[in-house]
Amino acid sequence: MIMRMVSSKISHILVLFVLFSQLFIYGCKESDRSTIAMGLNTSPVNLDPRYATDAISYRVSRLIYKSLIDFDEKYHVIPQLAVWQKLSPTHYRFILGEKYREFHDGSKLSSEDVKATYDSVLNSNNVSPHRGSIAMIKSIEIVDFDTIDFKLSYPDPLFPGRCVIGILPKKFIYKKHDFSREPIGSGPIKILYWENDENLKLKRISDNKIIELITLKDPIVRVLKLLKGDIDLIQGNLPPEVITWLGKKQYLNVEKKIGNTFTYIGFNLEDPIVGNILIRNAIAHAIDRESIIKYVMSSSARKAGSLLPPEHWASNSNLSGFKYNPKKSKKFLKDAGYDGLTPLKLIYKTSNDPFRLRLATIIQKQLESIGIEIEIRSYDWGTFYGDIKEGRFQMYSLSWVGLKMPDIFYYIFHSDSVPPYGANRGRFKDAKVDEILDLVRSETSLNKQAIYYKNLQEYLMRSLPYIPLWYEDNVLISKSNIKGYKLSTDGNFDSLIYIQND
Amino acid sequence: MNFDYLIKRFFSAVFVLFSILTFVFFLIHIVPGDPIEVMLGESARVADRYALRESLGLNLSITQQWLNYLNNFLHFDLGKSLYSNQLVIELLFKHIPDTFLLSLASLFVAILIAVPLGIFSAVYKGSILDKASILLATLGISIPNFVMGPLLILIFSLWLGWFPVSGNDEISSIILPALTLGSALAAILSRMIRSSMLETLQQDYIRSARARGITEFNIIVFHALRNAALPVVTVLGMQFGALLAGAVITETVFSWPGIGQLMIESIQKRDYPVVQGCVLLISFTYVLVNLITDFICILIDPRIHDKND
Repeated sequence: MIMRMVSSKISHILVLFVLFSQLFIYGCKESDRSTIAMGLNTSPVNLDPRYATDAISYRVSRLIYKSLIDFDEKYHVIPQLAVWQKLSPTHYRFILGEKYREFHDGSKLSSEDVKATYDSVLNSNNVSPHRGSIAMIKSIEIVDFDTIDFKLSYPDPLFPGRCVIGILPKKFIYKKHDFSREPIGSGPIKILYWENDENLKLKRISDNKIIELITLKDPIVRVLKLLKGDIDLIQGNLPPEVITWLGKKQYLNVEKKIGNTFTYIGFNLEDPIVGNILIRNAIAHAIDRESIIKYVMSSSARKAGSLLPPEHWASNSNLSGFKYNPKKSKKFLKDAGYDGLTPLKLIYKTSNDPFRLRLATIIQKQLESIGIEIEIRSYDWGTFYGDIKEGRFQMYSLSWVGLKMPDIFYYIFHSDSVPPYGANRGRFKDAKVDEILDLVRSETSLNKQAIYYKNLQEYLMRSLPYIPLWYEDNVLISKSNIKGYKLSTDGNFDSLIYIQND
Repeated sequence: MNFDYLIKRFFSAVFVLFSILTFVFFLIHIVPGDPIEVMLGESARVADRYALRESLGLNLSITQQWLNYLNNFLHFDLGKSLYSNQLVIELLFKHIPDTFLLSLASLFVAILIAVPLGIFSAVYKGSILDKASILLATLGISIPNFVMGPLLILIFSLWLGWFPVSGNDEISSIILPALTLGSALAAILSRMIRSSMLETLQQDYIRSARARGITEFNIIVFHALRNAALPVVTVLGMQFGALLAGAVITETVFSWPGIGQLMIESIQKRDYPVVQGCVLLISFTYVLVNLITDFICILIDPRIHDKND
């Protein structure tokens, strides 16, 4: 009897549930062509270009703000808000052009706004992380409404390339406006709504199209959202096998373009084992990058031979890294005193990102085949980064994202750049490298600088403070009605300025 | 329930909160990782790093920082996020409603599934239904949320199109995350209810009730279930606290902007004031829920009150 009573109640509940769910189905929003939604793996942290340091904040900020200059595909500096003249090695004049001259509040962008923005970054009280990159500025002088002079304390031929900070309106800087959450720039896209970190709504000024940036941390959920049609496109940060699977869907487009995210293995050169060049050479020749790229990364990467990709004007395009050669590896190991009887154990640190961890286990297996036992230790970003900065590692793997300026070599390999003074995390100290880097700093011709950098990259391949692995491709997965998205090498979102959903 | 008992419980709650806050404060400060490095990156100048460290009070000794924190806390000031500069209290208030809503919905789902399942399993012990419920409970406990979540999305969002994939823009958005969280809890609860009911159904007063001709439905619902509910209510209280803090995976899968996500992100970024705020909120809720559970238990079974007296 109880069973009968309860089954009748259950059937009532089921009917109610179905009716209730139908109510929700009809309540669901219909797809909206006035909106383009993009799925992100992480939210922007800070949309104030004076303080933004993470890649997503930088990519979104580029849409909202405009800077004096930009870079072309070969990393040459090109005008954006302004053209420039080199009046002397320490004197640059920028003349504002016609484009992007109106801020989102309707006011006109002038040389005063440029000065206020740069003064604000240079003001030590504001603690901008970008102050160091423009520390050579001695004074900024307004010539007229459209013209501004930068005087430097020492010659810097790369100076125009440092003027990448988005320009803010002066009156809002003085009002201490919170640009991090309520950005006001002169870019083609302005902010509409950003209450929750997970949902940033932007508006394209040219056609009032809404651009929605939705943060979906779980890659599978990002894909499911795309398949359901809740979002229109995803750029990168998906497991390679998922990308391959999505490529078979007729209603989706998958595009790839070479990228400049440089992945490498770094060593602590103060460590008695990996400080030995023979051990580093053994490791370099034991890693089968071709197989990893082909089978694990679904050919979504290209082999790297240096920090800068081959298309960069200062890159040594002849370099492509080490060839996989286990015999050579074993010989290096033998020369280093590890002949198989003496076990060699190393600790490899990486982040807890599942894909990085998977790559670490593959490298672990490859090194095991030549007799190197690897213990993988993966940590959350804060701990991992802290350890790397403090030199608490033997070897680790990381990536450099969005490198554009060649003086990054000074910052990473000069002996004066050991943290906290730079990013020489491996404590690499080499007199010849220091000499080249000091020479290149004092060289005023960019062509001659390029020659120095090319030689330096060759030398670094021999001294091996890093093992270059690969440059990861940028991948776009979009619904087939999305037209006009062009992937860029540095993975920026600039195409959101003009794409359409037909 | 006397006044002394309430005072005792209050002070023990304050002590628990203080201990947790102290422990977490020192723990998060001694693990490797520096918020200044994460905020400014490696390119910042040493002087700027020092200036920022000083402006945030991170240059002081850890004991001094702790004393400052306590002082501010006593003035109801939980500080500001090191990253977004938002007040911690504001951040918490922004995330609390979603977390509470999800936790309550999950509890509701768990009770909705577990109570009938537990009762049927006990009443029809050894039947197919009982075996099926064991199977369901094992599945519920074994399937991790990061599998259950996408599976539910696949079925109910993608194939059937009934609910949104993620987010919290629509009322129906809560159903799948609540099912994901609630199903695991339902599995535990249904087994508890079953064993508790089995024990209760053996009692003399149940036999007496049957002899008095009371219907089986009334015996089970009004006589047995009330007594069997005691251990279940205790577990529910504990689980509610766990739901508040432990829904990180579900929140991530469904992009649900709750406290769990906020706390994990803050730990990764070493955003000390936000971590402290989250821990305080969660432990406060735990303590409060336990207190309420105790009172409910006393209401269900007044003998507990007498024992405490």
